[in-house]
Amino acid sequence: MSMFRSKKMDIGSFLNIHVIRDHTKRKVYAQFEPERQALRHIIRNTTLPARTRAEAQLQLTQMHCYTRPTQIRGRCLMGGKGRGIFRDFKLSRYNFRMQALEGNLPGVRKASW
Amino acid sequence: MATTISRSSILQPLRQTLTRPVARQPRSAFIASASRSKASIAKPNQTTPASVPSDEALTVPFPMRHEVHPEEPAIRLPRSVQSLYLQPLRREANYGVPTCDLQLRSYSVPNLEFFCDFALRAAYYLNLPAFGPVPLPKIKERWTVPKSHFIFKKSQENFERITRRRLIQIRDGHAESVQIWLAFLQKHAYYGIGMKANVWEYSKLGVGKEMEGQGQAMQEVIEDKMKLLGRDKTEGTVQKVQELLESERFRIQG
Repeated sequence: MSMFRSKKMDIGSFLNIHVIRDHTKRKVYAQFEPERQALRHIIRNTTLPARTRAEAQLQLTQMHCYTRPTQIRGRCLMGGKGRGIFRDFKLSRYNFRMQALEGNLPGVRKASW
Repeated sequence: MATTISRSSILQPLRQTLTRPVARQPRSAFIASASRSKASIAKPNQTTPASVPSDEALTVPFPMRHEVHPEEPAIRLPRSVQSLYLQPLRREANYGVPTCDLQLRSYSVPNLEFFCDFALRAAYYLNLPAFGPVPLPKIKERWTVPKSHFIFKKSQENFERITRRRLIQIRDGHAESVQIWLAFLQKHAYYGIGMKANVWEYSKLGVGKEMEGQGQAMQEVIEDKMKLLGRDKTEGTVQKVQELLESERFRIQG
Protein backbone atom coordinates (compact mmCIF):
# COMPACT_ATOMS: atom_id res chain seq x y z
CA MET A 1 0.00 0.00 0.00
CA SER A 2 1.25 3.42 -0.89
CA MET A 3 0.91 4.76 2.67
CA PHE A 4 3.75 2.47 3.76
CA ARG A 5 5.89 3.16 0.74
CA SER A 6 8.95 5.33 1.33
CA LYS A 7 8.96 8.72 -0.36
CA LYS A 8 12.44 8.26 -1.73
CA MET A 9 13.73 5.14 -3.46
CA ASP A 10 15.70 3.08 -0.99
CA ILE A 11 16.70 0.00 -2.94
CA GLY A 12 19.31 -0.41 -5.61
CA SER A 13 18.23 -3.59 -7.36
CA PHE A 14 16.18 -4.06 -10.51
CA LEU A 15 13.02 -1.97 -10.11
CA ASN A 16 9.43 -2.57 -10.96
CA ILE A 17 6.24 -2.25 -8.94
CA HIS A 18 6.41 -5.84 -7.68
CA VAL A 19 9.90 -5.34 -6.32
CA ILE A 20 8.97 -2.07 -4.62
CA ARG A 21 5.86 -3.67 -3.13
CA ASP A 22 7.80 -6.63 -1.77
CA HIS A 23 10.46 -4.34 -0.33
CA THR A 24 7.79 -2.27 1.39
CA LYS A 25 6.21 -5.39 2.86
CA ARG A 26 9.53 -6.47 4.30
CA LYS A 27 10.05 -3.12 5.98
CA VAL A 28 6.52 -3.00 7.37
CA TYR A 29 6.80 -6.54 8.71
CA ALA A 30 10.05 -5.68 10.49
CA GLN A 31 8.49 -2.57 11.97
CA PHE A 32 5.41 -4.32 13.35
CA GLU A 33 7.04 -7.57 14.39
CA PRO A 34 7.15 -6.83 18.16
CA GLU A 35 3.47 -5.95 18.15
CA ARG A 36 2.52 -9.11 16.28
CA GLN A 37 4.61 -11.24 18.60
CA ALA A 38 3.12 -9.54 21.68
CA LEU A 39 -0.42 -10.19 20.48
CA ARG A 40 0.41 -13.79 19.64
CA HIS A 41 1.85 -14.18 23.12
CA ILE A 42 -1.29 -12.78 24.74
CA ILE A 43 -3.50 -15.06 22.64
CA ARG A 44 -1.57 -18.18 23.62
CA ASN A 45 -1.13 -17.27 27.30
CA THR A 46 -3.77 -19.33 29.14
CA THR A 47 -3.21 -17.52 32.43
CA LEU A 48 -4.75 -14.35 31.03
CA PRO A 49 -8.53 -13.80 31.13
CA ALA A 50 -10.45 -15.09 28.12
CA ARG A 51 -11.75 -11.65 27.19
CA THR A 52 -8.29 -10.19 26.98
CA ARG A 53 -7.20 -13.03 24.75
CA ALA A 54 -10.24 -12.58 22.53
CA GLU A 55 -9.48 -8.89 22.30
CA ALA A 56 -5.93 -9.67 21.26
CA GLN A 57 -7.23 -12.04 18.60
CA LEU A 58 -9.39 -9.29 17.24
CA GLN A 59 -6.53 -6.84 17.19
CA LEU A 60 -4.28 -9.29 15.42
CA THR A 61 -6.81 -9.97 12.69
CA GLN A 62 -7.38 -6.25 12.25
CA MET A 63 -3.70 -5.55 11.58
CA HIS A 64 -2.77 -4.62 8.05
CA CYS A 65 -1.93 -7.49 5.72
CA TYR A 66 1.50 -5.92 5.01
CA THR A 67 2.51 -6.76 8.57
CA ARG A 68 2.23 -10.51 7.90
CA PRO A 69 5.39 -12.48 7.19
CA THR A 70 3.55 -14.64 4.65
CA GLN A 71 3.27 -11.66 2.34
CA ILE A 72 7.00 -11.62 1.78
CA ARG A 73 8.22 -13.39 -1.32
CA GLY A 74 11.68 -13.86 -2.74
CA ARG A 75 12.19 -11.85 -5.90
CA CYS A 76 14.98 -11.85 -8.44
CA LEU A 77 17.56 -9.14 -7.80
CA MET A 78 18.27 -8.64 -11.48
CA GLY A 79 14.91 -9.23 -13.13
CA GLY A 80 12.29 -8.82 -10.42
CA LYS A 81 10.75 -12.17 -11.25
CA GLY A 82 8.77 -13.85 -8.49
CA ARG A 83 9.05 -17.49 -9.51
CA GLY A 84 11.94 -19.88 -9.94
CA ILE A 85 14.24 -18.03 -7.57
CA PHE A 86 17.33 -19.70 -6.12
CA ARG A 87 17.54 -18.78 -2.46
CA ASP A 88 21.32 -19.18 -2.46
CA PHE A 89 21.74 -16.39 -4.97
CA LYS A 90 18.41 -14.51 -4.90
CA LEU A 91 18.33 -14.81 -8.66
CA SER A 92 15.83 -16.30 -11.07
CA ARG A 93 16.94 -19.33 -13.01
CA TYR A 94 17.68 -17.42 -16.20
CA ASN A 95 19.66 -14.67 -14.50
CA PHE A 96 21.47 -17.27 -12.44
CA ARG A 97 22.56 -19.00 -15.64
CA MET A 98 23.73 -15.74 -17.22
CA GLN A 99 25.72 -14.73 -14.15
CA ALA A 100 27.19 -18.21 -13.70
CA LEU A 101 28.35 -18.32 -17.33
CA GLU A 102 29.94 -14.90 -16.96
CA GLY A 103 31.72 -16.09 -13.83
CA ASN A 104 30.18 -13.56 -11.48
CA LEU A 105 29.16 -16.15 -8.92
CA PRO A 106 32.19 -17.31 -6.93
CA GLY A 107 32.88 -21.01 -7.25
CA VAL A 108 29.98 -21.76 -9.59
CA ARG A 109 31.03 -23.50 -12.78
CA LYS A 110 29.59 -25.75 -15.43
CA ALA A 111 29.27 -29.24 -14.06
CA SER A 112 29.84 -32.51 -15.83
CA TRP A 113 30.00 -35.82 -14.10
CA MET B 1 75.87 -10.17 4.92
CA ALA B 2 74.22 -9.36 1.62
CA THR B 3 77.55 -8.87 -0.09
CA THR B 4 79.04 -12.15 1.08
CA ILE B 5 76.21 -14.35 -0.19
CA SER B 6 77.08 -15.49 -3.67
CA ARG B 7 74.73 -14.55 -6.43
CA SER B 8 74.31 -18.12 -7.50
CA SER B 9 73.11 -19.26 -4.12
CA ILE B 10 70.32 -16.70 -4.20
CA LEU B 11 69.50 -17.25 -7.83
CA GLN B 12 69.11 -20.96 -7.59
CA PRO B 13 66.01 -21.07 -5.40
CA LEU B 14 64.63 -18.09 -7.29
CA ARG B 15 65.03 -19.95 -10.53
CA GLN B 16 63.21 -22.91 -9.08
CA THR B 17 60.26 -20.76 -8.17
CA LEU B 18 60.27 -19.32 -11.67
CA THR B 19 60.34 -22.71 -13.32
CA ARG B 20 57.73 -24.14 -10.99
CA PRO B 21 54.40 -24.48 -12.82
CA VAL B 22 51.80 -21.87 -11.92
CA ALA B 23 49.05 -24.41 -11.27
CA ARG B 24 49.70 -26.48 -8.20
CA GLN B 25 50.45 -30.14 -8.74
CA PRO B 26 48.80 -32.81 -6.60
CA ARG B 27 50.20 -32.99 -3.13
CA SER B 28 52.47 -35.96 -3.76
CA ALA B 29 54.07 -34.19 -6.71
CA PHE B 30 54.56 -31.05 -4.64
CA ILE B 31 56.40 -33.00 -1.96
CA ALA B 32 58.65 -34.49 -4.62
CA SER B 33 59.53 -31.06 -6.01
CA ALA B 34 60.16 -29.75 -2.54
CA SER B 35 62.53 -32.57 -1.70
CA ARG B 36 64.32 -32.04 -4.99
CA SER B 37 64.87 -28.39 -4.17
CA LYS B 38 66.27 -29.39 -0.82
CA ALA B 39 68.80 -31.66 -2.47
CA SER B 40 69.89 -28.96 -4.90
CA ILE B 41 70.21 -26.34 -2.18
CA ALA B 42 72.35 -28.64 -0.10
CA LYS B 43 75.20 -28.69 -2.66
CA PRO B 44 75.58 -25.29 -4.27
CA ASN B 45 79.12 -26.04 -5.48
CA GLN B 46 77.89 -28.34 -8.21
CA THR B 47 80.02 -27.75 -11.35
CA THR B 48 78.43 -27.30 -14.75
CA PRO B 49 78.83 -30.16 -17.19
CA ALA B 50 81.30 -29.57 -20.05
CA SER B 51 78.76 -30.17 -22.80
CA VAL B 52 76.80 -27.04 -21.85
CA PRO B 53 78.00 -23.95 -23.79
CA SER B 54 79.80 -21.32 -21.74
CA ASP B 55 78.15 -18.14 -20.51
CA GLU B 56 79.94 -15.98 -23.05
CA ALA B 57 78.34 -17.96 -25.88
CA LEU B 58 74.87 -17.10 -24.66
CA THR B 59 73.53 -13.65 -25.42
CA VAL B 60 71.32 -13.51 -22.36
CA PRO B 61 72.47 -10.41 -20.41
CA PHE B 62 71.66 -11.95 -17.06
CA PRO B 63 72.86 -15.54 -16.92
CA MET B 64 70.18 -17.69 -15.37
CA ARG B 65 72.30 -20.82 -15.33
CA HIS B 66 74.14 -21.92 -12.26
CA GLU B 67 77.58 -20.38 -12.16
CA VAL B 68 80.28 -20.77 -9.55
CA HIS B 69 83.20 -18.45 -9.06
CA PRO B 70 86.04 -20.14 -7.25
CA GLU B 71 86.93 -17.03 -5.26
CA GLU B 72 83.37 -16.63 -3.92
CA PRO B 73 82.78 -18.52 -0.67
CA ALA B 74 79.76 -20.79 -0.86
CA ILE B 75 77.46 -19.43 1.85
CA ARG B 76 74.06 -20.96 2.25
CA LEU B 77 70.87 -18.98 2.60
CA PRO B 78 69.52 -18.40 6.11
CA ARG B 79 67.71 -21.47 7.38
CA SER B 80 64.41 -19.56 7.68
CA VAL B 81 64.59 -18.63 3.99
CA GLN B 82 65.66 -22.11 2.95
CA SER B 83 62.77 -23.64 4.84
CA LEU B 84 60.29 -21.78 2.62
CA TYR B 85 61.23 -24.20 -0.16
CA LEU B 86 60.63 -27.23 2.04
CA GLN B 87 57.66 -28.78 3.77
CA PRO B 88 56.52 -26.80 6.83
CA LEU B 89 58.21 -27.78 10.08
CA ARG B 90 56.14 -29.17 12.94
CA ARG B 91 56.36 -29.25 16.71
CA GLU B 92 56.01 -32.49 18.65
CA ALA B 93 52.92 -32.96 20.81
CA ASN B 94 53.68 -34.50 24.18
CA TYR B 95 50.18 -35.25 25.41
CA GLY B 96 48.02 -35.02 22.30
CA VAL B 97 45.19 -33.05 23.92
CA PRO B 98 43.30 -31.20 21.20
CA THR B 99 42.95 -27.48 21.94
CA CYS B 100 41.86 -25.99 18.61
CA ASP B 101 40.21 -27.24 15.43
CA LEU B 102 40.55 -24.82 12.54
CA GLN B 103 38.49 -25.49 9.47
CA LEU B 104 39.40 -23.73 6.23
CA ARG B 105 36.97 -23.59 3.32
CA SER B 106 37.40 -22.41 -0.21
CA TYR B 107 36.20 -22.99 -3.75
CA SER B 108 39.74 -23.06 -5.13
CA VAL B 109 42.35 -25.64 -4.22
CA PRO B 110 45.57 -23.61 -4.79
CA ASN B 111 44.48 -20.83 -2.44
CA LEU B 112 43.47 -23.34 0.18
CA GLU B 113 46.71 -25.32 -0.02
CA PHE B 114 48.73 -22.13 0.16
CA PHE B 115 46.93 -20.85 3.21
CA CYS B 116 47.13 -24.22 4.98
CA ASP B 117 50.87 -24.12 4.43
CA PHE B 118 50.98 -20.60 5.84
CA ALA B 119 48.92 -21.59 8.89
CA LEU B 120 51.20 -24.56 9.61
CA ARG B 121 54.33 -22.39 9.42
CA ALA B 122 52.75 -19.80 11.70
CA ALA B 123 51.87 -22.55 14.18
CA TYR B 124 55.46 -23.80 14.16
CA TYR B 125 56.89 -20.39 15.00
CA LEU B 126 54.30 -19.93 17.77
CA ASN B 127 55.45 -23.24 19.27
CA LEU B 128 52.12 -24.95 18.60
CA PRO B 129 52.02 -28.60 17.57
CA ALA B 130 49.80 -28.60 14.46
CA PHE B 131 48.32 -31.62 12.71
CA GLY B 132 46.95 -31.68 9.22
CA PRO B 133 45.82 -30.41 6.85
CA VAL B 134 43.19 -33.15 6.87
CA PRO B 135 41.11 -33.02 3.69
CA LEU B 136 37.47 -33.16 4.78
CA PRO B 137 34.70 -34.28 2.41
CA LYS B 138 33.90 -31.84 -0.38
CA ILE B 139 30.54 -30.06 -0.29
CA LYS B 140 29.00 -30.34 -3.72
CA GLU B 141 26.04 -28.16 -4.60
CA ARG B 142 24.45 -28.65 -7.99
CA TRP B 143 21.82 -26.68 -9.85
CA THR B 144 20.07 -27.61 -13.06
CA VAL B 145 18.43 -24.86 -15.09
CA PRO B 146 16.61 -24.87 -18.42
CA LYS B 147 18.77 -23.19 -21.06
CA SER B 148 15.89 -21.04 -22.33
CA HIS B 149 12.10 -20.89 -22.19
CA PHE B 150 10.13 -23.66 -20.59
CA ILE B 151 8.99 -25.17 -23.91
CA PHE B 152 12.61 -26.18 -24.48
CA LYS B 153 12.76 -27.92 -21.10
CA LYS B 154 14.58 -30.84 -22.72
CA SER B 155 17.84 -28.89 -23.04
CA GLN B 156 19.11 -28.00 -19.59
CA GLU B 157 22.41 -26.98 -18.12
CA ASN B 158 24.14 -28.13 -14.94
CA PHE B 159 26.11 -25.91 -12.61
CA GLU B 160 27.98 -26.87 -9.52
CA ARG B 161 29.88 -25.31 -6.67
CA ILE B 162 32.37 -27.44 -4.81
CA THR B 163 33.55 -26.28 -1.41
CA ARG B 164 36.84 -27.85 -0.36
CA ARG B 165 37.61 -28.10 3.31
CA ARG B 166 40.77 -28.63 5.29
CA LEU B 167 41.12 -29.23 9.00
CA ILE B 168 44.13 -28.16 11.02
CA GLN B 169 44.23 -29.35 14.59
CA ILE B 170 46.37 -27.86 17.35
CA ARG B 171 47.23 -30.18 20.22
CA ASP B 172 48.71 -29.22 23.57
CA GLY B 173 48.55 -25.54 22.64
CA HIS B 174 48.60 -22.86 25.28
CA ALA B 175 45.24 -21.08 25.18
CA GLU B 176 46.86 -17.69 24.75
CA SER B 177 49.15 -18.68 21.91
CA VAL B 178 46.25 -20.39 20.16
CA GLN B 179 44.40 -17.08 20.35
CA ILE B 180 47.44 -15.29 18.95
CA TRP B 181 47.69 -17.82 16.14
CA LEU B 182 44.01 -17.37 15.22
CA ALA B 183 44.32 -13.59 15.35
CA PHE B 184 47.42 -13.73 13.15
CA LEU B 185 45.60 -15.87 10.58
CA GLN B 186 42.66 -13.51 10.68
CA LYS B 187 44.92 -10.52 10.19
CA HIS B 188 46.60 -12.10 7.18
CA ALA B 189 43.40 -13.65 5.83
CA TYR B 190 43.78 -14.77 2.24
CA TYR B 191 41.18 -13.99 -0.41
CA GLY B 192 38.47 -16.54 -1.02
CA ILE B 193 39.07 -18.52 2.15
CA GLY B 194 36.67 -18.89 5.05
CA MET B 195 37.84 -19.96 8.48
CA LYS B 196 36.11 -21.25 11.54
CA ALA B 197 37.66 -22.52 14.73
CA ASN B 198 36.55 -24.57 17.70
CA VAL B 199 38.68 -23.81 20.75
CA TRP B 200 38.88 -25.85 23.95
CA GLU B 201 40.38 -24.62 27.17
CA TYR B 202 41.14 -26.18 30.52
CA SER B 203 40.79 -24.02 33.61
CA LYS B 204 40.37 -24.20 37.36
CA LEU B 205 37.17 -24.95 39.22
CA GLY B 206 34.73 -22.07 39.70
CA VAL B 207 34.82 -20.84 36.11
CA GLY B 208 31.18 -19.81 36.32
CA LYS B 209 31.74 -17.30 39.07
CA GLU B 210 34.77 -15.87 37.34
CA MET B 211 32.86 -15.44 34.10
CA GLU B 212 29.96 -13.85 35.92
CA GLY B 213 32.35 -11.24 37.28
CA GLN B 214 33.62 -10.47 33.80
CA GLY B 215 30.15 -10.58 32.27
CA GLN B 216 29.39 -6.91 32.68
CA ALA B 217 32.56 -5.82 30.93
CA MET B 218 32.22 -8.42 28.18
CA GLN B 219 28.65 -7.46 27.41
CA GLU B 220 29.62 -4.40 25.38
CA VAL B 221 32.15 -6.32 23.31
CA ILE B 222 29.64 -9.07 22.61
CA GLU B 223 26.93 -6.58 21.71
CA ASP B 224 29.24 -4.94 19.18
CA LYS B 225 29.91 -8.29 17.52
CA MET B 226 26.33 -9.49 17.64
CA LYS B 227 25.13 -6.34 15.94
CA LEU B 228 26.88 -7.52 12.78
CA LEU B 229 25.29 -10.96 12.83
CA GLY B 230 21.82 -11.83 11.63
CA ARG B 231 19.74 -13.45 14.33
CA ASP B 232 16.15 -13.95 15.31
CA LYS B 233 15.17 -10.64 16.76
CA THR B 234 12.15 -10.47 19.01
CA GLU B 235 13.39 -7.40 20.77
CA GLY B 236 10.78 -5.30 22.48
CA THR B 237 8.15 -8.04 22.59
CA VAL B 238 8.03 -8.13 26.38
CA GLN B 239 7.64 -4.37 26.66
CA LYS B 240 5.00 -4.48 23.94
CA VAL B 241 2.98 -7.12 25.84
CA GLN B 242 3.01 -4.97 28.95
CA GLU B 243 2.09 -1.90 26.96
CA LEU B 244 -0.83 -3.69 25.29
CA LEU B 245 -2.18 -5.12 28.54
CA GLU B 246 -2.11 -1.68 30.13
CA SER B 247 -3.69 0.02 27.12
CA GLU B 248 -7.19 1.49 27.19
CA ARG B 249 -8.66 -1.15 24.96
CA PHE B 250 -7.56 -4.05 27.16
CA ARG B 251 -8.28 -2.35 30.47
CA ILE B 252 -11.97 -1.81 29.71
CA GLN B 253 -12.33 -5.60 29.43
CA GLY B 254 -10.98 -6.26 32.94
